[in-house]
Amino acid sequence: MKKNRQNPLRKRYLRELRGDFGKYLVIFILLVFTIGLISGFLVADGSMIIAYNESFEKYRIEDGNFQTDDEISRANRRKIEKSGVILYDNFYIEKKLKDGNTLRIFKNREEINLLCLMEGRFPEKRGDLVIDRMYADNNGIHVGDELQFGKSIFVVTGLVAFPDYSALFQNNSDAMFDAVKFGIGAVGREDFDSFASDELTWCYSWKYADPPGSKEEEKKVSDRLMEDVADIIYLEDFIPRYMNQAIQFTGEDMGGDRAMMLMLLYIIIVIVAFVFMITVRDTIAREASVIGTLRASGFTKGELVRHYMTLPVLVTLAAAIVGNVLGYTALKEVCAGLYYASYSLPTYVTVWNGEAFVLTTVVPVLIMLAVTFLTLQRRLRLSPLQFLRKELSRRSRDRALFLPSRLPFLLRFRLRIFFQNMGNYAVLLIGILFANLLLLFGLALPAVLDRYQESMKDNMLCDYQYYLKIPAYRMDRDYEFDKILSFSFLRTATMTSNKDAEPFASYTLRIPEGEALRVEDINVYGIKKNSRYIHIPIRRGEIWVSSAYADKCRISEGDTIRLREPYEDRTYEFHVDGIYDYMGGLCMFMRMEDLCERFGLFEDYRSGYFSDSRITDVSRDLIASVIDYDALIKISRQLDVSMGGMMVVVDGFSVVLFMILIYLLSRIVIEKNAHAISMTKILGYTDGEIAGLYIWTTSVVTVLLLLVTIPAVNAIMELIFRNYLAARMTGWITYDIPRSVFYKMFLIGTVTYAAVAAFEIRKIRAIPMTDALKDVM
Amino acid sequence: MEDIKDIRHGTVGSRQLTEKTGESGKTMETTVLLELRDIRKAFGKGENRVEVLRGISLDVKKGEFCVLLGPSGSGKSTLLNIIGGIDSTDSGEILIGGERMSAMGEKELTRYRRRHLGYIFQMYNLIPNLTVRENIEVGAYLGRDPLDVDEILHTLGLYEHRRKLPNQLSGGQQQRTSIGRAIIKNPDILLCDEPTGALDYNTSREILRLIEKISLQYGTTIIMVTHNEAIGAMADTVIRLRDGSIRDRTVNVTRMPADQLEW
Repeated sequence: MKKNRQNPLRKRYLRELRGDFGKYLVIFILLVFTIGLISGFLVADGSMIIAYNESFEKYRIEDGNFQTDDEISRANRRKIEKSGVILYDNFYIEKKLKDGNTLRIFKNREEINLLCLMEGRFPEKRGDLVIDRMYADNNGIHVGDELQFGKSIFVVTGLVAFPDYSALFQNNSDAMFDAVKFGIGAVGREDFDSFASDELTWCYSWKYADPPGSKEEEKKVSDRLMEDVADIIYLEDFIPRYMNQAIQFTGEDMGGDRAMMLMLLYIIIVIVAFVFMITVRDTIAREASVIGTLRASGFTKGELVRHYMTLPVLVTLAAAIVGNVLGYTALKEVCAGLYYASYSLPTYVTVWNGEAFVLTTVVPVLIMLAVTFLTLQRRLRLSPLQFLRKELSRRSRDRALFLPSRLPFLLRFRLRIFFQNMGNYAVLLIGILFANLLLLFGLALPAVLDRYQESMKDNMLCDYQYYLKIPAYRMDRDYEFDKILSFSFLRTATMTSNKDAEPFASYTLRIPEGEALRVEDINVYGIKKNSRYIHIPIRRGEIWVSSAYADKCRISEGDTIRLREPYEDRTYEFHVDGIYDYMGGLCMFMRMEDLCERFGLFEDYRSGYFSDSRITDVSRDLIASVIDYDALIKISRQLDVSMGGMMVVVDGFSVVLFMILIYLLSRIVIEKNAHAISMTKILGYTDGEIAGLYIWTTSVVTVLLLLVTIPAVNAIMELIFRNYLAARMTGWITYDIPRSVFYKMFLIGTVTYAAVAAFEIRKIRAIPMTDALKDVM
Repeated sequence: MEDIKDIRHGTVGSRQLTEKTGESGKTMETTVLLELRDIRKAFGKGENRVEVLRGISLDVKKGEFCVLLGPSGSGKSTLLNIIGGIDSTDSGEILIGGERMSAMGEKELTRYRRRHLGYIFQMYNLIPNLTVRENIEVGAYLGRDPLDVDEILHTLGLYEHRRKLPNQLSGGQQQRTSIGRAIIKNPDILLCDEPTGALDYNTSREILRLIEKISLQYGTTIIMVTHNEAIGAMADTVIRLRDGSIRDRTVNVTRMPADQLEW
């Protein structure tokens, strides 16, 4: 063989591409969007993570912070700093805005947690205010707008990112951050100093003089520090950086998003590989006699494998190039936008991401090549004679299935088409399963969140839960006389005459590491016997857990659970006596007396009130927080805001993917029957009748498959949802999809199919009668 | 063994068939290119088992034009496919140029077809998105010393159609293209499976004329399967098959020109 002679088959490539333009175009688009979107996401994610990681150094993020009830004296400050830390004032004040939102205001930072200016300028004179960029976005605030709290009016001079608030958690114990109703800002020194000192929260940030090398070490060092500080001053809160959700959540979440997107990528790759597989099989079936002739003439299997691989490979490579270009340009901006919608991140610089290239381009291209190659290798294993005789199935020739002649002719005709295409329908089943999975992926989250918000309305413990400013710390019975006095004073001051108010005690415990997918706090409620709000016939010594807790951590009645003190090395074991239907949080219920006894508190210790009406006769200064409906649905509201955009993208994508799959698969059925269709035309069947025969069968099968795949897809999605959310989310949302979502899925599927079917009917019209008369192939 | 009848029709063209040995004393060249020894082949199992070839033995000499004649189901196409290396035997021996075909693996068989064989099918099997010229080039690509494409196009009367796609051609033109594809690589053996089976009388004669021309012009060994008795007259040897056995072997001392064939 003369090697320099070019294979004339190569001239087919361009014609093949033109002839099958629709098919290659949809595959190309699918790959471009997949590769583009995911590489755009990974590039944005990678660049953002780099920006986020660098922000620790660049903006001098604190190693931790604690709160106390008053300004620390110089002497105490020196004592604390002897524990190997440098303290920085990070005081703030919280103001209610006109729209009911809360704005936490700091002094413009100069030494620690430095601000990243994203638009405008820093405060220069009195009345200047910079606010968090994301809060501003979510509330439509722009540079130059005025904000009023109380009598003061401030002008927003700049939008900034607070490096210690990349996720806007108001309290570290919150299940989710809230960038809609909670914002932060900073004013100049003069403005800040003018705030009344009794309104300030005395928050101190620290940096270690000698930073710990590892997370374990950091834990140890911070535990020691907490003990040291607690010996010197009264601690209201103590949050080392590794436990600070406002700082850590973003990093963890970006990692989680990355995992989710990669999962999405590989689902799509499997689908595309699958599409490649069926198109290759289709091509081979169509070209059987050509392949047989070429093989009989002496073409090697290798030559034919290379020949049939060339076009899919070229299309994949072209899509990879275009996809990457789009990924690094337009789509990166879209994805970065999604992050900026969720987090208050500083500005980022696009960083070339080799890993993203490998994951989104090299791996998928290799998978496509492998799938195409293996399919071709397998299919082309048949002998030239089998190709010439079009015996592509390994099975011996099927016997015609008996169909009673009593059945109407058209039905028998349709059934024959069904049996003939069983293989294709099996492929369609897998295709629809994937497409539906992707569709549900996009539809499930918003539906679950809506459902959660709805159910919370009926499922609240009470309309208002008041938490009083009485730290458990003060109640410890080991404490001295002055503490008892102070407790008695507070107890009297927090008495209410509201008839709805029912006191409760509460205590916070934490799930120990390794006990569940996520370390998080469990709120232990001590409730009264025959409580008006918690309807549990709870007896002394009994422990009940909320259904949210039971569902998330898979706890059943009779189980023993282990929990530990958040800031001490002490672990408790509880035997679960019952599960209380409450989805509002991960919590545990016991009798008030039991709680005080178990945790060593005063017998009549109370943390707050359950109430169905507002309590107005307790000073606002003594109320730490009020949990109402708004506060309870914070988690779903924020997920909605931060992930809503992403879900629209996923939804759109899944519909497109679904259309492509249905298009490719129904097209194969039509093409396979082109000869027969042409023949029936010659016999005098109308286009409508032919469509009724060929499209009808596929339509019935598609609709049935759309229906039967829904339960399977739902089960798979629940599994994904549980594993994904249990590890990532503080708190819990049950996977509960309303029926309407499935109706919607079915509707989208059917409408999509109808569009494709209309297109296919046009194709049937276009099949010439000469196809049956001229045996070109 | 099969009966051998000599029917003398005179000399065809300028080529004299010679045989050095044999009782008949004919003057024919005796280089045997293809030897088939006791070829057996059956399809199916148990009750459905059908013996398609029942011990076929024959020699085909270099440059010989051999026609395999027989009704449907006589085993002629199976025999041709076995010679072509695209079907296997249950037993028996095939030697091509002294090489045992049964010893050949998949790759050797492909190489054998590539170097030595040209195939013409009843249904043409042209590549639909390649032009006439390109379809012929597909064959040229496989040959070590292919003939000139333009010359073949002229010889086959396809030059003016060279840019057309198969679906723009008549059946005869399509078959001529498939002949072009088979002979361009200058094969040692040309295997023709009912090449006129799908064509009308005139077009069939036209195709047979071409095959004759190839035989004379290039000295190609030709084995043609047909059920048309009349075509046997244009061959050097006619093998008649029935129920998988050779019923009759005829050597034509002179070949009838394709032009004169009638049926």
